[in-house]
Amino acid sequence: MLIDFFSAVGDVLSSESTYINGALFAALLAFAATGEWVAERSGTLNISVEGMLLSGAFAGALGYHLADSVVVGLVFGAFGGLIIAVVQAQMSHRLTADQFVVGLTLNILIVGLTGFLDREIDPRADRASTVEIPVLVDIPLFGQALFGEPWPFYLLYGLVPLSWWLVYRTRWGLELRAAGENPQSADVSGIDVNLRRRQSIYYAGLTSGLGGAYFLFAQIAAFDDSIIRGQGFIAIAAVIFGGWTLWGTMGGCVVFAGALSFQLSLQGLGYELNTELLQALPYLVTIGTMAIFARRVRSPAALAQPFIRGLK
Amino acid sequence: MTGTGGSDPSVPAVQLTGITKRFGGIVACDQVDLTLYRGLVHGILGENGAGKSTLMKVLIGLVLPDEGSILIDGQPRTIHDPLAAAALGIGMVHQHFSLVDQLSVWENVALGEAGKLDSSGVRRRVAAISEQYGLDIDPEAQVGTLTAGLRQRVEIIKCLRRDPHILVFDEPTSVLTPEESEQLFSTLREVVAAENRAVVLVSHKLDEVLHATDEITIMRQGRVVDRRPTTDADARSLARAMVGREVSLRSERAAFGLTEIEEAADVGPEDGQAAETVISDEPVLRIEGVTVRGRRGGARLLDDISLDLRAGEIVGVAGVEGNGQRTLGDLLSSLVPLDSGQVVVNDSVVRTGAPGAMAKAGIGVIPEDRHDSGVVLDMTVAENLLMVDPHRVARHGVMDKGQVTEAAQQMIEEFDIGCSGPDAPLWSLSGGNQQRVVLARELAADPDVLVAAQPTRGLDVGAIEYMTDRLRQTAVDGVAVLLISSELEEILELSDRIVVMSRGRIVGELSHDDANLETLGLLMGGSEA
Repeated sequence: MLIDFFSAVGDVLSSESTYINGALFAALLAFAATGEWVAERSGTLNISVEGMLLSGAFAGALGYHLADSVVVGLVFGAFGGLIIAVVQAQMSHRLTADQFVVGLTLNILIVGLTGFLDREIDPRADRASTVEIPVLVDIPLFGQALFGEPWPFYLLYGLVPLSWWLVYRTRWGLELRAAGENPQSADVSGIDVNLRRRQSIYYAGLTSGLGGAYFLFAQIAAFDDSIIRGQGFIAIAAVIFGGWTLWGTMGGCVVFAGALSFQLSLQGLGYELNTELLQALPYLVTIGTMAIFARRVRSPAALAQPFIRGLK
Repeated sequence: MTGTGGSDPSVPAVQLTGITKRFGGIVACDQVDLTLYRGLVHGILGENGAGKSTLMKVLIGLVLPDEGSILIDGQPRTIHDPLAAAALGIGMVHQHFSLVDQLSVWENVALGEAGKLDSSGVRRRVAAISEQYGLDIDPEAQVGTLTAGLRQRVEIIKCLRRDPHILVFDEPTSVLTPEESEQLFSTLREVVAAENRAVVLVSHKLDEVLHATDEITIMRQGRVVDRRPTTDADARSLARAMVGREVSLRSERAAFGLTEIEEAADVGPEDGQAAETVISDEPVLRIEGVTVRGRRGGARLLDDISLDLRAGEIVGVAGVEGNGQRTLGDLLSSLVPLDSGQVVVNDSVVRTGAPGAMAKAGIGVIPEDRHDSGVVLDMTVAENLLMVDPHRVARHGVMDKGQVTEAAQQMIEEFDIGCSGPDAPLWSLSGGNQQRVVLARELAADPDVLVAAQPTRGLDVGAIEYMTDRLRQTAVDGVAVLLISSELEEILELSDRIVVMSRGRIVGELSHDDANLETLGLLMGGSEA
């Protein structure tokens, strides 16, 4: 039994498809988690990221359906995420409705709405073309996974550093961090705390929507209301796993995507194991790592605390 | 910035007329007029709750007035938010709530400006300002690690960086040492005279208002009760106007920060009950060779400290803020572990690093920052009074509502806590009454040692008087009291023995009779050079 287990792990780790699947999921998580990280640094715990991903995927399919173009699909996807972000931000950071209630409601609403529209419109999509980076793509095992991907994958190489630069090197980012750490002080300093928080949610909406559309064009190429399956929540876990640093968050995406891909490969390679148990594996890994890491890190001091001017 | 708008000195820089602001049923400002001219320092004097802060919040755009008009350089203006105020050239050095602990000094200074973030430019400017005004600071330091005095420095630099021509200082010396205050006032003079700004100094300390201003407005209960040039003012008449009656109590003198030696001569622990205190021979608390290192860099926050405290005595800990006093308080609250040495209470060594160990051993603490570690503002008075030791009102872990109310009511009466009842939320209480809650709670545990860290900071006259009397009474009742304070007057008044701390060490010990402002100042300053 034990030998079986080790040989299974060995088989999985030496299978190229493990890395290709891993990169696919990691990229999906990374698109969402990057935006989520920005949002959380401003002090808002944006749980509607799940809905943003799904909305982005559907809008991506719709865009492709209308214009027959992956580019248009991605733009539609980003806007699909943004629509959810606008509702979330206006409800929770203008009307000061509870951000969790708003987020949960949106997540449920989007499943129903996209499912309905999918049946009505039945958008037709296709895969994005693959771009291979010469030489690097030939690296054994993970060359294909990192350098032989559908082209929207490579947007991440720009998006992630851009997000870091925005948060740490621009005035907008400084004000956003101040809003997340001490909104009262930020307010006294003349910063519109809730505006910064709304903007950070818009940013999360754009990146998550893009991520949803990417996932559609990279893998399935057909919309289904169950394609996201809680990946948005895992993206939130990745931010916590990363201790609210961007690079740590990316590390979290890789770890959680790895667990997901491991499970798929295990099944793909024909190892007979309880499927339900296997499917639970990535989530067990998520919970397990959270238990280890969550208490070592410091979250933004005002995370998930609504800010109302003039109080305190 | 509208820097050129009011160079004509006859046009007031600011003219507030008939400002009224109500919060619910309370009138914080009632038809207040205020006129500020360039090149003059204007003092606004009043007790806590007199309406000074609200008036300044109106000027800075944090509060919109219900009535009244604002003229800036002769132009009528509406100031909706701090950015609008900044655009009109109004800057404020806040007492609280303007710095973000997790950001560095330069990031805090850059906060709230517009345009591209130029980090090296901001750093250079911070360096230039700190040199120009003698406000030494490391621009890379994280603000949360700085002492109160240094944090205020950042606050001032942040304000001056925007080059305001109307500058408001809100209680600027409440966290400063006498020397730092002195330096601040000379800076302030320079800023006004050389750079032709209008400066407002909001304060409840008479001597600094007398010392540093040209004109004084006195507020009481939301109204302006008097206004006069500083040359026509003296401490007694100001004090009378401020509290509305003759001032004679020494605690009031302390509250106003009067430091004239000749006036202080007629008070001392000889009069009153202090002389009755019986001090035992055996120490209750022994701190033996304690060293505490900081988390980063390993600098010694406490360096081989040894100190004995006997039942019935008050030992004062004096020193420039940031020289280990806070760590000493934290150590005795079980907040920091020690690296070497030991703390002994009643002959048994206290385990350090375990939460509540010091409290179990019999050490009660009035913490330095009331809101941070003293009380929970959103909980009720009763909950705050009983949260440290809920066992006496609980059966099998379930709180008995009747007993809670009864016990709380008893404490409220005993300590005369001004509140609407045990169920009032703590934030509805004044600072002085919140501090009484802390005191009542700590004394209810019947401690052998009471550590009082800055017990009167931010309190008004009556509250200071009460705290002072209570601390003295606590010692008479046989508790060993450790008084950590940056108010030298308070230390001199209360302590039987005074130790002076500098750079984490005890650099001197004086008996009450040998200590005066001069000897203490020499010890605090001499070891610093």
